[in-house]
Amino acid sequence: MTDSTDTPTTGDARARIRAFLVPHMSGQAITDTDDYFALGYVNSLFAMQLAAFVQEEFGIVLKPEHMDFDNFRTVDGLVRLVGTAA
Amino acid sequence: MSAAAGVGTTIPLDPPVPAALAEEVGRRLLFVSPGITGYRLDTAEGGDLRGVTLYSDAPLDADAVAGKLNRLLDSDVRPQPPNPAAVVWASRRRRAATPVFPALAEAGAVTEAGEGQVAVGEPLLSLLEFFDRLVLDVLAEDFAATAYRYPTLIRAGALAKAGYFTSFPHHLMLVTRLRNDVDVYREFHRAYGAGLDPGVLALGGNVDYCLPPTMCYHTFHQHEGRTLGPGLHVVTARGKSFRFEAGYATTLERLWDFTIREVVFLGPRDDVLAAREAFMGAVFAALDDLGLGGTCETGNDPFFGGADTPSRIWSQRLLGLKYELRLPVAPDRDVAVASFNFHDDLFGKAFDIGAGEPREAVRSGCAGFGLERLTYAFLCQYGLDRARWPERVRAGLREAH
Repeated sequence: MTDSTDTPTTGDARARIRAFLVPHMSGQAITDTDDYFALGYVNSLFAMQLAAFVQEEFGIVLKPEHMDFDNFRTVDGLVRLVGTAA
Repeated sequence: MSAAAGVGTTIPLDPPVPAALAEEVGRRLLFVSPGITGYRLDTAEGGDLRGVTLYSDAPLDADAVAGKLNRLLDSDVRPQPPNPAAVVWASRRRRAATPVFPALAEAGAVTEAGEGQVAVGEPLLSLLEFFDRLVLDVLAEDFAATAYRYPTLIRAGALAKAGYFTSFPHHLMLVTRLRNDVDVYREFHRAYGAGLDPGVLALGGNVDYCLPPTMCYHTFHQHEGRTLGPGLHVVTARGKSFRFEAGYATTLERLWDFTIREVVFLGPRDDVLAAREAFMGAVFAALDDLGLGGTCETGNDPFFGGADTPSRIWSQRLLGLKYELRLPVAPDRDVAVASFNFHDDLFGKAFDIGAGEPREAVRSGCAGFGLERLTYAFLCQYGLDRARWPERVRAGLREAH
């Protein structure tokens, strides 16, 4: 499921993000573009867990400019968020 | 910001709170301790909140209040990543707004009946009906809604099921009555002929009912356990709603007892989201037609003191679960007159309302309009001279008479 355009750094981020997400997906497989909120695999409160995860795992501080739901609803969005917020 | 005359007590905020969370701090301050009658937010360069000044009639115990306040902010506010409101609509026109409550009072159109309680007469009564009809007409353009009138009281169990007790304990209004026992009535005669004190609650029979904070809980309770047919279901109701808000001012902007027109959408996720979007757009168009000024932006419910309060607030804002329609009522102030909400399956699960094959929890959304606020904002923007009101409003009032 890894994007072939990933650099080694984003590839590593993608793997770590997927490793965090998979146990929360109600046993469902997800692609990197699946909106796991819209699919009903997680509820809205999971967003806060995602925020805590990316801050802790990647040592970033989320700022107002990062507060776009598109950054949180897919694996691709999280990879992009980690890349821009780092 | 809210300030009142009295003794000022400055409480440092340690650590400071980011500027984007200042509103979350402000909306909690009057609930920290009953002695607090007003406040000022003390911002440092860059906008971060370094402290608050709390006003009270008698001096506050600064250490005790500081402890309570900082604990509350630690649990409710500081864990939220700063997430400023995103504007999703702005009116075509900007219109100057001037508070008209003093003029309404002078004209006898409003009379303060108690804290946050106002008796209203004309022209507010007719305008309130006009705006209620306007909302229903806009709704009818795209949706066939089923209308209900609900009882004023709502079962405490229904609010508990909706999570209201854990989410909004500060707004809760309990209803009780004297226990139906002749000895209780005799004791009541003996002890309370001259007036009530809190001891009277010992003679109370139960707390099985509450005053409703809004209408949609009635709708979910009404549909509890049902399986809905395919497609979107739309329910609307209007009723008196009650939320305790500490620190009332004499105005129609912040009422304890007010009227809500509510629309509830029930159905598949995509249908509910599309309905909310379409209804919002139609409401905005109607406001533009009237020439009213305002904005709509992401918002959050006033969750308070729960373990998941920061998560609920932050996720509501991030996911666009709540949009607030805000209309100016003064040069430096606007009020939320309506909100457009998406609950996902929260209430479908809580009330076992199902749909589909296989059956799963229905999704829901709602739109609520505070009719007193909507009417008041109109008057603040257009004034009391009917000749200056939009023709559509004047025609609507003529038709009603």
